Amino acid sequence: MPDEPLDPVIHAASRLRVVATLAALVVGDQIAFPRLQKLLDMTAGNLSTHLRRLEEAGYVVVHKTHEGRTPATYIELTPRGRRAFDQYQEQLTALLKGAGS
Amino acid sequence: MPTEPDAEPEPADRRETDDAPLDPAESLRLIRDQQQRAGALIPDGRLLYLVWGAAWLLGFVVLWGSSRTGGGAGFAWTPDAAEVPAALPAGWAFAVYSVLIAAAIAVTIVHSVRRGAGVRGPSARTGALYGWSWFLGFLVMALLVAGIASSGASADVVARVANGSACLVVGMAYLMSALLWEDLRLYVLGAWILLVGGVASLFGLPATYLVMALAGGGGFLVMAAVAHLAVVRGRREEREAPRA
Repeated sequence: MPDEPLDPVIHAASRLRVVATLAALVVGDQIAFPRLQKLLDMTAGNLSTHLRRLEEAGYVVVHKTHEGRTPATYIELTPRGRRAFDQYQEQLTALLKGAGS
Repeated sequence: MPTEPDAEPEPADRRETDDAPLDPAESLRLIRDQQQRAGALIPDGRLLYLVWGAAWLLGFVVLWGSSRTGGGAGFAWTPDAAEVPAALPAGWAFAVYSVLIAAAIAVTIVHSVRRGAGVRGPSARTGALYGWSWFLGFLVMALLVAGIASSGASADVVARVANGSACLVVGMAYLMSALLWEDLRLYVLGAWILLVGGVASLFGLPATYLVMALAGGGGFLVMAAVAHLAVVRGRREEREAPRA
């Protein structure tokens, strides 16, 4: 598996941070856009761009909803996204082991 | 390590470096850093243990102290205890105790709600049901104590039942929480609080309050210290983690 290329969707600093944050949530939990943005220190536009890319890959689901009259956006990591993140981490660890010995 | 220029890239820089190749060590560090930041989504146990430790320690010390000055026996388990009128805590001491406990409850709720804000799904549901479990436990405990008090039991009996049953509720809740969140330290604290409740019930007024203050409140404070050390150790290990 170490020979497989790293997932290009995740292997980019900003998206890696987005996925790592979402993976820290309890399975099935969703996080509000502003809260996620704060945890990441990203601009809203920047975060939206990365989320779109992750959504296209099927790694996240973006739920548009209303809280009272205010529109709200919640983001959730899909099982597929979680698997991709786990695999990515395994690959990293394997790569580091190979480089260290 | 401090001279490494890209150790803490600014968010703006991250945008620029997005397509630049990440090396595996850098990736792992980004993941660790970010997941540590995501810790802001769950309550900080250190704060909660500290608040509850302080509330129990101060609250029960006040109850104990005011009953001593009120006259009466020291340890109600001494042979002549029955003849000595039980030392009752002063009314103001109960007021102080109530305010401290109410403050600890308020801090716990506000802190937990703030930390979990913006997250919905299974964990929010679990958290709400968790909060209600505590409420129900203490509601029934209050009814039990009220019932015993209204049955004509002495202040000594009421105090023993109140302290013992409070510890029973807290201790059992912690044992179950420890299983829910796979937190072994919390399990030890739960077992300790149960033990404290048992021992406190063997002492009458006012010593039962001293046991609650020192062993109970002290237990929370030790837990706060242990949790803090674990956080410090975790951070140090992270700093010293190998980077290729």
